[in-house]
Amino acid sequence: MTFEALAGQTISGISLGMVWFLIAVGLSIIFGTLKVLNLAHGSLYMLGSYTCYQVTTSLAPLAGNFWLAVLLAPLVVALVGGLIEVFLLRPIYKAEMLYQYILTFALVLIIAEVCKIIWGAGYHSISVPWPFKGSVRLFGLTFPQYNLFLIVMGAVVFMGLRLLINHTSLGRIIRAVTHNREMANALGVNVPWVYTGVFMLGSWLAGLAGCLWPPMSAVTLGSDMAVVIDCFIIVVIGGLGSLSGAFLGAIILGLTTAYGVLFVPKLAVAFGFILMVIILIIRPWGLLGEPE
Amino acid sequence: MAQDRSFSSFLGIGLPAALIMVGLLAALISLPLYVGQSWVSITTEMLIMSLAACALNIMLGYTGLVSFGPAGLYAVGAYTTAIFLQKLGLSIAPSMLAAPVLAGLIGAIVGWICVRRTAVYFALLTLAFSQIIWTVIFEWYAVTGGDDGLTSLPIPDFFFNISNCYYFTLFVVGVCTFIIWKIINSPFGQTLKAIRENRNRVEFIGVNTKRYQLGAFVLSSLFLGISGSLYCVFSGSVFPNFAYWVKSADMLVICLLGGVYNFSGPLVGTLIYTLLTKIIADYTTHWHLFLGGIIIFIILVMRNGVVGTLADLWARKKQKQL
Amino acid sequence: MLLEARNLSKSFGGLNAVTDVSLTVREGQLVSIIGPNGAGKSTLFDLLTGHIRPDQGTVSFKGQDITHLKPYEISRLGLGRSFQKLNIFPRLTTFQNVQVALFSAEKLNHKLFAHAGRMVAEPVEEILKSVGLFGQADTLGGLLAHGDQKRLEIGIALALNPKLLLLDEPTQGMSPGETMETTDLIRSLVRARQISLAFVEHDMKVVFGISDWINVMHQGRLIFGGPPEEVKANEEVQRIYLGQGEN
Repeated sequence: MTFEALAGQTISGISLGMVWFLIAVGLSIIFGTLKVLNLAHGSLYMLGSYTCYQVTTSLAPLAGNFWLAVLLAPLVVALVGGLIEVFLLRPIYKAEMLYQYILTFALVLIIAEVCKIIWGAGYHSISVPWPFKGSVRLFGLTFPQYNLFLIVMGAVVFMGLRLLINHTSLGRIIRAVTHNREMANALGVNVPWVYTGVFMLGSWLAGLAGCLWPPMSAVTLGSDMAVVIDCFIIVVIGGLGSLSGAFLGAIILGLTTAYGVLFVPKLAVAFGFILMVIILIIRPWGLLGEPE
Repeated sequence: MAQDRSFSSFLGIGLPAALIMVGLLAALISLPLYVGQSWVSITTEMLIMSLAACALNIMLGYTGLVSFGPAGLYAVGAYTTAIFLQKLGLSIAPSMLAAPVLAGLIGAIVGWICVRRTAVYFALLTLAFSQIIWTVIFEWYAVTGGDDGLTSLPIPDFFFNISNCYYFTLFVVGVCTFIIWKIINSPFGQTLKAIRENRNRVEFIGVNTKRYQLGAFVLSSLFLGISGSLYCVFSGSVFPNFAYWVKSADMLVICLLGGVYNFSGPLVGTLIYTLLTKIIADYTTHWHLFLGGIIIFIILVMRNGVVGTLADLWARKKQKQL
Repeated sequence: MLLEARNLSKSFGGLNAVTDVSLTVREGQLVSIIGPNGAGKSTLFDLLTGHIRPDQGTVSFKGQDITHLKPYEISRLGLGRSFQKLNIFPRLTTFQNVQVALFSAEKLNHKLFAHAGRMVAEPVEEILKSVGLFGQADTLGGLLAHGDQKRLEIGIALALNPKLLLLDEPTQGMSPGETMETTDLIRSLVRARQISLAFVEHDMKVVFGISDWINVMHQGRLIFGGPPEEVKANEEVQRIYLGQGEN
């Protein structure tokens, strides 16, 4: 095991983790404030990827078509998220977790079918956009430039969200509603619309991830289900509702997968779930979460 | 009040319900005589799913334990039978009998860990464990056939006749459902219901709730294992998606459709779900849209399911008459 | 000495809920615990019944140390409890509510195949009669009137044959008429079954009507304990209750 190989796997793991952070952070925020286990998070991701594909291909001859899609697609997903929250989630906030879980499952079925109707069952791809088309050599391994771009994006999103949550008045309102809904209500905060806003933010983030990751993977049906369970793992490990927790959880998952693939490839897929079990047994509120 | 030793006391239901049961049984027994083979096959599948749903409901509706991972135990049952048949070359009897044993064992281990946590954490633990089971099935190619699954299983010729398979399934499901019914209406079952109603209070009447929750978990796993084994024999093959979280969600949907607080809820839910998926599927390939819409409708409007809502209306009508 | 609590303390994340509380209940005694809201009364009960573990202090019942026992073990020793927040089994009938408690008391609840139906009907009906709910045996617990639900609570606690009953605000939310009925009920139960009683109450008529001994709590501490006349005369107690009148 050479130093290069180890370092290479570490970078692999971190970049994977950053991508997963981008995908999972929306779920973490939604669970943190709304306390909803949103199975449809992966579906919103997938919707974002299909919308991005659509915009990219429709604007094809235009330079910068991908970047325009990155601007537009998450907004579309945020809008869909807003409609979902207002009409379907608001009535069941007071209901038990099971009903919320299954309602979001119904959304998984519906969104997947809608994507199938509009874009067909085939496999689509989005090419890696300019200016990140090349690759770079680090520690004797070749990394696509786009991969490094994603790492930077992950860090930017993380810091941007931290700024929003901790240093803006909007963030203060979100934190107030998260910690004590009744108190915030009593202080004049329009809690239902804050909930809608947070859900739309989470959806926007899912849509953004849906634009950014497909150039390295694919736009395909089934990505919704593949993605959502990994998001659950990350959010549980890091701490339900913790922003830094989502970041930490994503990096941990990325690294364990990268190292796992190196040493015990067959079991690597299970590592995430095993970690999830361990955390739920010894520290259920996650590494950076708060016990209730 | 005198001890009620009549037949309906033994079964726990009144005369009208008993008559409906007999009628239903008669209809099911004579089914192959008046419908085609494809419907017999669909009914067989429906019977298997209804047993799985009943098994899940021991935890869900009667103990108040929300599990996101029943499919894991179902798959354990199915794969046990498949592996015993194909890889170990055993005959059908031990292959099927081993299914609930293994499912019960794994259920005991998983359950022991899971009941240490409540609500959301319990549910996420069950999800994680069933995904671990899925991963083991998916990756252990040598034993489970991995992504390809195990097909062309050496099922005895007896089961290739659709009517034979149907009657065998009807018998097993009938006996199992009866056993579950007895359990639900026993002192043990009443204790489970009390746990569902008020977990804290139950501790103060001297009940070690964790032990009873584990009991419910294991019983549930046993019957999930049996239904998995039945499906293995019915379809002749097993695949990793038997353990996937989507299958678990389907089972939860079935229970919710019918209603989790009534014994017949999961049975009616299976009926509705099967008819929906088979009939609507004949009209449109986009039946997922309809299923999703119906689930949303049930959750927003009829949270206690079809049977639960009807039962509530009936009770309200009786209350008004008093 | 039936129940003896010594130097119980419990704090939740910096907030001292109960500080250095000691109290005793003798056989045949009727002890009440009073104090303004937030005085720590319910927390004290939770400590006594094993629902919460104390940071410091011990609890012993019938001479046995029960400080670290679990609630289900403690209730089997003869320490029964009712709750401030309604704690019955709403979707079970009144009959079934008491029956399931009796199953536990008679150690029948492990039976998987016996038909629960009207099992142990006699003792269940006896308890229902003694709390005045016999006529509503088949009504769902959740559909009973509030006062009846409170009585069902007591009925459930009685099933375990307790030597000491801890009642947490048994007349909460009741009209004056219901309160009198419940007070009479409690008094007759206590006499008929030779149960000792420790109860938390806000209604001073009830407190001064049945107690042999009154403990006064304030901000987590036990500030005074004595027979009703002494409590009424105590200046500090009067100060705390000025303005906190009777129901």
